[in-house]
Amino acid sequence: MRDTVLLLAMNGLIWGLIIALIALGLSVIFGLLDIINIAHGDFFMVGTVLAWFSLSATGNFWIGFIVAPLIGFILGAIIQRLVIQPIHGAAALSIVATFGLSLILQETVRITFGATPRRMLAPIHGTIPLFGVDYEIYRLFAAGVALVALAGFFLFLQHTKLGIWMRAVRHDRETAVAMGIPAQRVYVLTFGVGFALAAFGGAVAAPITTVDFRGGVDVLPFCFMAVIIGGLGNLPGTVAAAVLLAFLEGLIQSVADPTMARISSLVLMSAVLLLRPQGLFKGFAR
Amino acid sequence: MTRRSLEIGLAAGAVTFLITAPWLIPALTDNFWVSVITEILIWSLFAASVNLLFGYVGLLSFGQALYFGFGMYGVALGIDHLGLSFWPAFGLGIISAMAMALVSGIFAVRLSWHYFAIITVVFSLIFYFLAVSMKPLTGGDDGINFSLPPVFRLGGRVWSLTDPTFQYFFVLAVVSLCLFLMHRVINSPLGKGFLAIRDNDLRASLIGLNVYVLRLIAFVMAGFLAGVSGALFALFGRYASATYMFYQVSGEAVVWTIVGGAGTMFGPVVGTALFIVIREIVSSHWEHHSLIVGLLAILAVIFAPKGIVGVWNGWMTRLGERDAAASARPQLKLQADHE
Amino acid sequence: MSEPVLRTQNLTKRFGGLTAVDDLSISLAGGRVHAIIGPNGAGKTTFFNLVTGLLSPASGRIFFRGRDITGCRPHVISRLGIKRTLQVKSVFPELSVADNLWITRQARNRFLHPFRPAASDLQAKLQVEQTLEQIGLADLAARPAGTLSYGDVAMLEIGMAVISEPSLLLLDEPTCGMSPAETSRAVAKIRDLTRTIDIVIIEHDMDVVFGIADDITVLAQGAILASGSPAAIADDERVREAYLGRPEDEDFMEEASHA
Repeated sequence: MRDTVLLLAMNGLIWGLIIALIALGLSVIFGLLDIINIAHGDFFMVGTVLAWFSLSATGNFWIGFIVAPLIGFILGAIIQRLVIQPIHGAAALSIVATFGLSLILQETVRITFGATPRRMLAPIHGTIPLFGVDYEIYRLFAAGVALVALAGFFLFLQHTKLGIWMRAVRHDRETAVAMGIPAQRVYVLTFGVGFALAAFGGAVAAPITTVDFRGGVDVLPFCFMAVIIGGLGNLPGTVAAAVLLAFLEGLIQSVADPTMARISSLVLMSAVLLLRPQGLFKGFAR
Repeated sequence: MTRRSLEIGLAAGAVTFLITAPWLIPALTDNFWVSVITEILIWSLFAASVNLLFGYVGLLSFGQALYFGFGMYGVALGIDHLGLSFWPAFGLGIISAMAMALVSGIFAVRLSWHYFAIITVVFSLIFYFLAVSMKPLTGGDDGINFSLPPVFRLGGRVWSLTDPTFQYFFVLAVVSLCLFLMHRVINSPLGKGFLAIRDNDLRASLIGLNVYVLRLIAFVMAGFLAGVSGALFALFGRYASATYMFYQVSGEAVVWTIVGGAGTMFGPVVGTALFIVIREIVSSHWEHHSLIVGLLAILAVIFAPKGIVGVWNGWMTRLGERDAAASARPQLKLQADHE
Repeated sequence: MSEPVLRTQNLTKRFGGLTAVDDLSISLAGGRVHAIIGPNGAGKTTFFNLVTGLLSPASGRIFFRGRDITGCRPHVISRLGIKRTLQVKSVFPELSVADNLWITRQARNRFLHPFRPAASDLQAKLQVEQTLEQIGLADLAARPAGTLSYGDVAMLEIGMAVISEPSLLLLDEPTCGMSPAETSRAVAKIRDLTRTIDIVIIEHDMDVVFGIADDITVLAQGAILASGSPAAIADDERVREAYLGRPEDEDFMEEASHA
């Protein structure tokens, strides 16, 4: 019994690290562009599909780790330029636009990839005994990759020009523009970064989950929960919340069914929205 | 062609079409389109609930499917489990939807824009998952079927919704009544209060409007509209399923409303009709009609953010100004004649 | 009446480390026009925000005609009779000019009827028409307020303040951004209003201040620097320093006070 709990908690922790990457992408888009991105789960899904295609095209799994975020970044930048910018990021309109985008992405994948969910083989085979079960090594590896990617992203924010620009524009747009930062270009690149993060998360997660055109639908609410509970604009908070939520859901799943776990996360999210909308964590908030 | 004659002609045409549809349509094309129009009417009412909140009060709710679901299950469970007859079941659906709207509104309406939109989804997701997990009761995603009691007995004759023509007129009557009520509210003092809050909620509170209470009232009214449409849906299909409480359903209604024209009375109807007709026509030839829906949504927000009816109203206003200018001239001529 | 119209007691408001209003105890008598002036950041608008309930004070109390209104919500304070205009002109852009006035008048009813057509309230309609005449916007009545020029929006705001029959009117920089012609029109209108309504006005335009005010209070860094009659203020050294500090502006103050 204890082993099952630990097992599910471990799964939750690992999944949480991967989701943190995706949620981070959403947090960046939501925090900087003020857009409720309904298509974000589908960005993740596109990442899994890109990983699948690059594997079947080249026979090399690792290429996906580059292809997915790269194409994701390009797609994100194009979308921002073509769709978001003409509507000046107007709030309600961008919700409709991202909803439309979500449909387009799902259908396009359905046309090119097909409607049947497929499994991808992990590049690293083998298991090690953990908590009384043979635990897949790839899962541990994936968690490690996610951790490295998260660290890399925060370094990117602190030390690169784009990262600093992103933080400046988020903090105070007018001053940033006055200081000569090209805000419009930052928005384009930010959307690209958001897509890339989600797509990379998809590539990493692909062997652990199914590759399916509906794969984004489940991920989306979870990402929003992480962003809200972590605190809008609070990037480290989003990461912490994602990990915590996935971990908790894993724990709850050991005593109840997955649906109840999901419901309790949602109830927690409602409580946070109503009582402490700035999120549960203090951090580098706006 | 003057603006007035155009509007009257259009209105007359629409009314004639709607009233004669059950006989006109089978004469022109497949009978099945009558039930499509019935469906369009039901979903327009649902879109109207989104429109009331967004177009007139400035609140974007992404979770109206929750109240639709309560209306739907209120009827379904009322008939199936409680053995209610038609009108009590209908009433149960509507009342439970309004009650749910009141309870969730009390909390949701306190929040500002983004958080409000998010929490409406969260509430609807919570109940979606509850409905899915209570499968024995609700049938989960597969849903439950039930048979329909008669609407009423009149002088020995039994009227039931199983008769497609009667069903069509019943739905038409209910939807028209609800839209008429909505129209009255919009043009009332309460409605002006809504508009003020939509335009500038800070100013509204400064002139003495209780923004929270007014928003809550609007939220319950929208819950009523969504509940009625859910109840009609259950009665129309003799079916209820948790899938209709999912956020994608709410999202589609938002798209229909905005593409049709938010803040106009007929925008939601036009938008709903457009998308459902496209779905019916395209899906018989090509299964990926969602692609078209998505493309249309994006094109609409970029090129016609006021929606179809919004653009139409703009044309009408310009036409009206042209008419006003034209009618000013004959007067001068008259004066000159009498000189 | 000996009871001051507006009185605050040790009113304090902080934003993080910044003290915007600092232990402010001010008393404004009825029947006189008060101007509040001071350099930017002196706390003038924050003071208005506190009085109208948009902000709650860290400490201190606010009294309106003897009644403690500290911590009341904005719409409650509005119903008590305190109305204000905003520094950034703010009306209901998609409503017509007439509807802007109409809803302002109706807002103080506790109950807004949900089904009767708004147009059927004839008394309200009459008052709207009268107010439109008063502020000179009668021929713009059907235009959406968002399409109006800046000066007209300011007049509309004043109209909205008037139609709500305020007991105390707070005007926040009403002539800000107006052309000279619009300014004299506004000043004339405000002078009319002072005959029946108690008014407190925040202004930067010294011509306007010295032309209307009976009493002036100068705020600097959230506290009272000086208060008194226009002549006294114009002569006050500290005021000149805080405000201006430059010789050519000193002359301006001189001139204005003799206007």
